[in-house]
Amino acid sequence: MKSMNFTTRFWISFSLVLATVLIGFVGPLIIKTSPDAVVGGLYDPPSGFGPLLLGTDNEGQSVLANLVYGTRTSLIVGLLAGTIASVIGLAIGIVAGYKGGVVDEILMGATNIALAIPGIVIIILLSIALDSRAIVPLGAVIGVTAWPWMARAVRAQATSVRTREHLDVARLSGARFWSILAWDLLPYLLSYVVMAFVLQVSGAILAEAALSLLGLGPSNAVSLGTMLYWAIAWGSVRTGAWWAFLPPTIMLTVLAFSLLLLQSSMDEVFNPRLRRGKAVKRRKPPSPRTPEEIEEVSPTAIGGSTLVQPPIGVSRGADS
Amino acid sequence: MNDPMTDTPDTTPSDGSHWGTTWASSRRRFLALAGLAAGGAIVGVGAAGCGTAQTGSSSGSEGGKGRPGASGDTLFVAGFQWGPPTNFNPVGPSPQWPTAGGQSQLIYESLLRFNMLDGSLAPGLGKELQETDTTMTVPLQDGTKWSDGTDLTADDVVYTFQIAKEASLSYSNVWEYVDSIEATDPRTVQFTLKKSPYNPGTVRNAIANTLIIPKAIWSKIPVDKLTAETNLQPIGSGPFLMDKADQTQVNLKRHDDYWGKAVYGTPAMTTINHPIFKSNNDGDLKLESGEIDASQQFTAQIWKMWEDKQKPVGTWLKEKPYYLPGNLPLLIFNINKKGLDNVKVRRAIAHAINYPNIATTAMSDYSEPANASVILPSGYESKFYDQAAVDAEGWTYDKEKAVAILEGELNAKKGSDGIYVLPDGTKLGGWTLITPTGWTDWNTACEIVAKSAKEVGIDIKTEFPQAPTMQNKMQNGNFDLCMYSYSGVSAASPWSRFRDMLDDRGVAEVGKTAFYNYNRFKHPDVPKLLDDAGAAKTDEERKTAYQALDKIYREQIPVVPLMYRPLEFFEFNQSNWSGFPTAEDPYAPPMWSGAGIGWLFKIKKVSA
Repeated sequence: MKSMNFTTRFWISFSLVLATVLIGFVGPLIIKTSPDAVVGGLYDPPSGFGPLLLGTDNEGQSVLANLVYGTRTSLIVGLLAGTIASVIGLAIGIVAGYKGGVVDEILMGATNIALAIPGIVIIILLSIALDSRAIVPLGAVIGVTAWPWMARAVRAQATSVRTREHLDVARLSGARFWSILAWDLLPYLLSYVVMAFVLQVSGAILAEAALSLLGLGPSNAVSLGTMLYWAIAWGSVRTGAWWAFLPPTIMLTVLAFSLLLLQSSMDEVFNPRLRRGKAVKRRKPPSPRTPEEIEEVSPTAIGGSTLVQPPIGVSRGADS
Repeated sequence: MNDPMTDTPDTTPSDGSHWGTTWASSRRRFLALAGLAAGGAIVGVGAAGCGTAQTGSSSGSEGGKGRPGASGDTLFVAGFQWGPPTNFNPVGPSPQWPTAGGQSQLIYESLLRFNMLDGSLAPGLGKELQETDTTMTVPLQDGTKWSDGTDLTADDVVYTFQIAKEASLSYSNVWEYVDSIEATDPRTVQFTLKKSPYNPGTVRNAIANTLIIPKAIWSKIPVDKLTAETNLQPIGSGPFLMDKADQTQVNLKRHDDYWGKAVYGTPAMTTINHPIFKSNNDGDLKLESGEIDASQQFTAQIWKMWEDKQKPVGTWLKEKPYYLPGNLPLLIFNINKKGLDNVKVRRAIAHAINYPNIATTAMSDYSEPANASVILPSGYESKFYDQAAVDAEGWTYDKEKAVAILEGELNAKKGSDGIYVLPDGTKLGGWTLITPTGWTDWNTACEIVAKSAKEVGIDIKTEFPQAPTMQNKMQNGNFDLCMYSYSGVSAASPWSRFRDMLDDRGVAEVGKTAFYNYNRFKHPDVPKLLDDAGAAKTDEERKTAYQALDKIYREQIPVVPLMYRPLEFFEFNQSNWSGFPTAEDPYAPPMWSGAGIGWLFKIKKVSA
């Protein structure tokens, strides 16, 4: 990791992510129109450079204002849910992987059960059961259902790192359990965790969109999924009101795509064997397998990871 | 975006080299392809929109020839049936198409048929209504028969009404106003009215709406089991027979020995088919493309079908508002809820709601902005409507006025969250507004109400449960605010609407099922005024009573009208059938129920 040579792909995806973040968090400050304000009639076509730049939606509200506020909601939900899922997944995985034995069995047993239950069903049930349908509870609901695959993957990584000598040194020098986890184990997993977090964010954004599309979106805020829900309900495709469904679709695509691209480009940065160009030439003849390579496993690239549980590679910890 | 390569981490060194090269190149290719795919998907969505339109327009331009084969002799309708039919029981709690009261009389028929254009009663199974002060007599048409070939007599009519006295059916309330219903001879039915309460309008309405069922078949069923009967092979008197009904469609075939051939003629279509759709969208697209001939769905911006896409689609009116108002969706307050029990709070909310926006967006310009009256300002109810009183005592969309009421009259103070709090500490918020999910025009209206209220500082959330859940909450009085409608235009309106809204007689207490007056409104003057209006003999007397009731309504505001809505949506595509009634050719009303059956006998197949 000494030479952090960022690729073009990294910079492209990074600027795309940055652009969506700017749209989501700075956009509402620039576009003064409230997403709830009535600025026109039913599906007025785009005109001018004001709030009507992208026309109006089925309530006569500015699509542009809804888009920037909706992007913000999606990002907030994504970051919140991604953080919650990553923290839970990391905590369970690292403890199970390092401790091993009965703790491992119990934690992984619970994780396997959670993996076997379709996430979207739990999300729907939870969001109906919860009284409040604000952004924060929604993010939390998505977060607490998205962690299992990450717990499995982190545990596999942690099991392999556990056998390294420096951990023996740490144990011999009297380092305590949590200190070993935080200072001797976690740094070796960090590249993986960062990439998995990016995937969690992207998955959570798509999960929120799916939920909103079913009419279970946040009730006090506009989100990209809610925009699509109303666009479908009001037959915007039939009436030719493309400005009602294309902007949120494109924005969702860009959000999910740029995060996945970012993840895969970070994969290249962290894993030298994935580098192209000079790196490829250098790779011939094949470098012998070293223990370090074990950690260079990229997280499974699955969009909407809560909807489709990513297949988990066979636990590598078993053979170590 | 599932890259199979990333799922397969290289496991052996030799494999690693092999995978390494292909991985690098295929990753790049994969990403390029993914980008293309994403772009393609976006274009595809756009193209799909145009694609549908193009299919439609090609069939539309060939519309002059009509559909080929058997489908050319079929009338396709939509907008009544939204799930697999479970029963065809006209006396059950939820009859399915076409056996419910508010639907076309294809299988079961009523004695007379209401016409919303002039409030008159057209002939049905009966010839006419002969009225005296205390009796109503209906002579049956000649030769009325059931579809199994037996005669339909006055006995069947008496039986149909008699069971409503013994069991609780949708038309049981007629017995509050009649002493007896008898067959004076095998072809004449006589209704003897009670002197007190005297209410000929409600009896007239029952005569116009009650579907007559065959005694020979139904009398075999115990009275307490009547409503549970599924009646999947209905025997009726109408011009069509049940052919088949399943998850995807209800199909009716023409009854060629229909008794009414001499009176009404023979319908031109041999089959009527109602495909069962999941949502408005599917039906709307098929109406546009000519695969649905006539529809009762809410179709947003329907004028685009003929103005932009040149489809042979039409509605009653060529210009806005396209439909005739016949109903009044209402915002119903729970007047027992703290905060909402204050009439000034209700008045502030009434001023806060953006009615023009509801009319143009939620109702797609099919409605004028709603007025502060529960009498319809057009159609046959308009003779009771008083614009001057509405202007003087009513409300309009006026945010400043709402704030003035809250701050000036109620001394409410805004809390840190921007929501007003009354001096006694009651927060004007935390209320939920419910209406059934999927009713898109109503859902949008609720969103606008919630946002309008938020703008002045009153906190209302929306929630859209499944229809049965919502209706159950509403009937039990277990809600903060709900959106629903009371009776539409009928032979008994606007009396029935005032009764539904203001009369506390016969309304179950909170926690039990009420069939009207969901917020349990009470007022000492209402019962007498209602009885007076019901018993009134001239329109002048009726108008006086209705105006007094409307005034009480405007003072107490138990509900707020949000928009006007047609009694039934009526839109058609003339690519296969032509001659639907319109305002220019008003030979039948723009209805499906009652006298609306008239157009079914008149539309003609478009020939090559």
